[in-house]
Amino acid sequence: MSIVRIRKGHNLRLEGVPAKKVYRADGPGVVVLSPQEYKGVKPRLAVSEGDRVEIGSPVWFDKRRPELLCTSPAAGTVTSIVWGERRALQSISIDVDSREQYRSFSSWKPGIDASRSTEMISSLLLESGLWPVIRQRPFSRIADPDVLPKAVFVPAMPTVPFAPDIHLQLEGREEEFRTGLMLLSRLTRRPVHLVISADNRSRVFSGVDGVELHRFSGPHPAGNVGIHIHHIAPIRHRDDVVWYVLPQDVARIGGLFLSGRLPVEKIIAVGGEAVEHRHHVAVRYGMRLSDILAKNTVHEPARLISGDVLSGTKRSADEALGFYDETVSVIPEHHGREFLGWLRPGRDRYTLTPLFLSSIVRSRRRRLDTAMNGSRRVMIPFGNIESVLPMDILPTWLIKMIIARDIDEMEKLGIYECDPEDFALCSFADASKMEISDIIREGLEYVEKNG
Amino acid sequence: MNSFRKLLDRVEPRFREGGRWSRYWPLYEMVDTMFYVPATTAPGPPHVRDAVDMKRSMVTVILALLPALLFGIYNTGYQAAPGEHPFWQLQTGIGAVLPLVLVSYIVGGIWELLFAVTRRHEINEGFLVTGLLLPLTLPPDIPLWMVAAGISFGVVIGKEVTGGTGYNIFNPALVARAFIFFAYPSEMSGDAVWSLADELTAATPLAVASSMPGLEGPQLVREAGYTLQQMFVGLIPGSVGGTSKVAILLGAVVLLVTRIANWRIMAGGLAGMTIAALLANWMAPSFDNPALWLSPLHHLLMGGFAFGLVFMATDPVSASQTDSGRWIYGALIGTLAVMIRVLNQAFVEGVMLAILLGNAFAPMIDYFVLRQNIAKRQRAYAQQ
Repeated sequence: MSIVRIRKGHNLRLEGVPAKKVYRADGPGVVVLSPQEYKGVKPRLAVSEGDRVEIGSPVWFDKRRPELLCTSPAAGTVTSIVWGERRALQSISIDVDSREQYRSFSSWKPGIDASRSTEMISSLLLESGLWPVIRQRPFSRIADPDVLPKAVFVPAMPTVPFAPDIHLQLEGREEEFRTGLMLLSRLTRRPVHLVISADNRSRVFSGVDGVELHRFSGPHPAGNVGIHIHHIAPIRHRDDVVWYVLPQDVARIGGLFLSGRLPVEKIIAVGGEAVEHRHHVAVRYGMRLSDILAKNTVHEPARLISGDVLSGTKRSADEALGFYDETVSVIPEHHGREFLGWLRPGRDRYTLTPLFLSSIVRSRRRRLDTAMNGSRRVMIPFGNIESVLPMDILPTWLIKMIIARDIDEMEKLGIYECDPEDFALCSFADASKMEISDIIREGLEYVEKNG
Repeated sequence: MNSFRKLLDRVEPRFREGGRWSRYWPLYEMVDTMFYVPATTAPGPPHVRDAVDMKRSMVTVILALLPALLFGIYNTGYQAAPGEHPFWQLQTGIGAVLPLVLVSYIVGGIWELLFAVTRRHEINEGFLVTGLLLPLTLPPDIPLWMVAAGISFGVVIGKEVTGGTGYNIFNPALVARAFIFFAYPSEMSGDAVWSLADELTAATPLAVASSMPGLEGPQLVREAGYTLQQMFVGLIPGSVGGTSKVAILLGAVVLLVTRIANWRIMAGGLAGMTIAALLANWMAPSFDNPALWLSPLHHLLMGGFAFGLVFMATDPVSASQTDSGRWIYGALIGTLAVMIRVLNQAFVEGVMLAILLGNAFAPMIDYFVLRQNIAKRQRAYAQQ
């Protein structure tokens, strides 16, 4: 098996890498669901305030496809429903009972014949509310149950800063993981591409029927699913759909079918310079950041991020961990202004360019906080952004065409292969301080709407 | 220093939206961010950002230009009075070159500010480079009002009318130089302009090389007293910053090590120049044009080729913006520079025109590279 070697990119060296130990977070008193983080659905409520729910009871469903549900990760009472602008459903809080009550789903029998199993798999995934773990490219939205993809990707080598350890996540769940892979293969009857890092020696990943194993090596974003798709099965046009599922969610799919219960836990990593204990934590879906960090200390001023520092979202402590996020990053928030910063030798500046002394002699104080380190300027193509994008895509031109809103050119330049998270390092490295990820997101939204 | 920060903070509201001087926000922004790194934090993902910014990038170009500037100052004084004590030569040099730089910066800066205020955008640091590049390409004896006229033309026509920094088609400093060159040819070429002292005339090696039909260029250069070594060190008449290849080489090293300039452009330029020069050498016996005999080394060491290739052609905005495009663009400039030098006796200094032509072709080169990328993608899709 060949290895795809990624050369362009960069692994951010940040302080506060999580230790390889898993702690269990105390059962939360409340879980919060935020329908807005799911893309491609119009949520309609299935509960009202005061309703009692079990683990696996529907909370909301999609207006256009009512069979697409989101279910509760906890048993308890719906306490508050918050509406945002234009009556968009913003959050649903559920007070958790001390007693766990599971809604039971029909578990899967291995002997079932293949033709029936496709239907059964998708209906059980939909009914249990586990379907949203399957996302699709282009546009990174929840997969459409009625349209089969050309391939399924399982990216099992996260390279983002503070990424959780894949072996810790799947420890003790190997059986579920392999069952989940097999189910995805049965569900789609298309190749399932499992991507692991070149130095992964674990046997969990090999020898599953219908699964093609790939190995990638290199710096971030080598572990991003967008890069894998680009190198294995590039997306040709807007209807050329690829699905992708995170490895933990594959294990949850397996777990659901083996036990008949909706698995509600995931193992995440807590990292960053501004948090006292950096380690892995087993948490429940919908858990608030304050509960996850309950026994931890945050050194203010700090920024709480649900997700990794490159593509995660800024959250306050009483908001919940994102549905797809597997990292909580806590990094120092920047304050103060340095005098003549651009003129200093800069032994302690973090940069990918050789423009500071730190590229020769590195100070121990070299660190990154949330500072922009400069002001917004027009695009000057020094080549900084090209050096961290391991795709055969010309980012400068794509960005120009997005700003010009030229759909035809965007398509030709490969917009469907792009995702904001793959361009996060471009935003990081750009000397003009352009929000390149945001521009890519805008471009995708524009072609999605008008294409 | 704290009191300065406090002063800036105190006046800031007046420059903000609704304040009395809100029109002059770009001016405040310039002063404010020049002295203090902005306090802004990353609004969204990514939540961390590289330390590099436009100021740092542009100041690196200035740094790379410093050897050429300093040597230019000394050489200007040296050419005016070769026998004098170096201290007086330096003084003469400063007296001649500093006004050029100041006029270029002040007049150009006023235009820059004017456009920033009316267009409501920030003042771009790229101007610091343009403002220094222009005087370095001029003869030291040029009247100051011509510098002012030139930089005005360069900033307004070369840059601002097409949308300002980042949108310019041509290198603004070269546009300025071309303007002066064509509007006031008597001050830009000929033997009298290269020295401060009026009674001294000195032909540049490039002018010498094409002066006598039927002879060989290199021999003419040698007979005029210019050895390759001299042209490399740079104590010869010429434009302020372009004579010393040592200083330019230092600048090139800075630009290449910091990856501010793209090495592909320089490499392409050298390759294009070498091939064109060798081709000219091959044709030389059949014609009586002495410049055909000039070796690639002569072309590299004579005139503004090195300066233009290192500092002008590599301007990331007006150059090709794709990697394979940069090779073609560089090679085109190298070839054109030799062609103009050798074949067109009216413009002995062909580099300026070659780069301007290269600038004009850059978008087209990029267009074809882009089409190729698209075609390649289509092929990869078809193979799936």
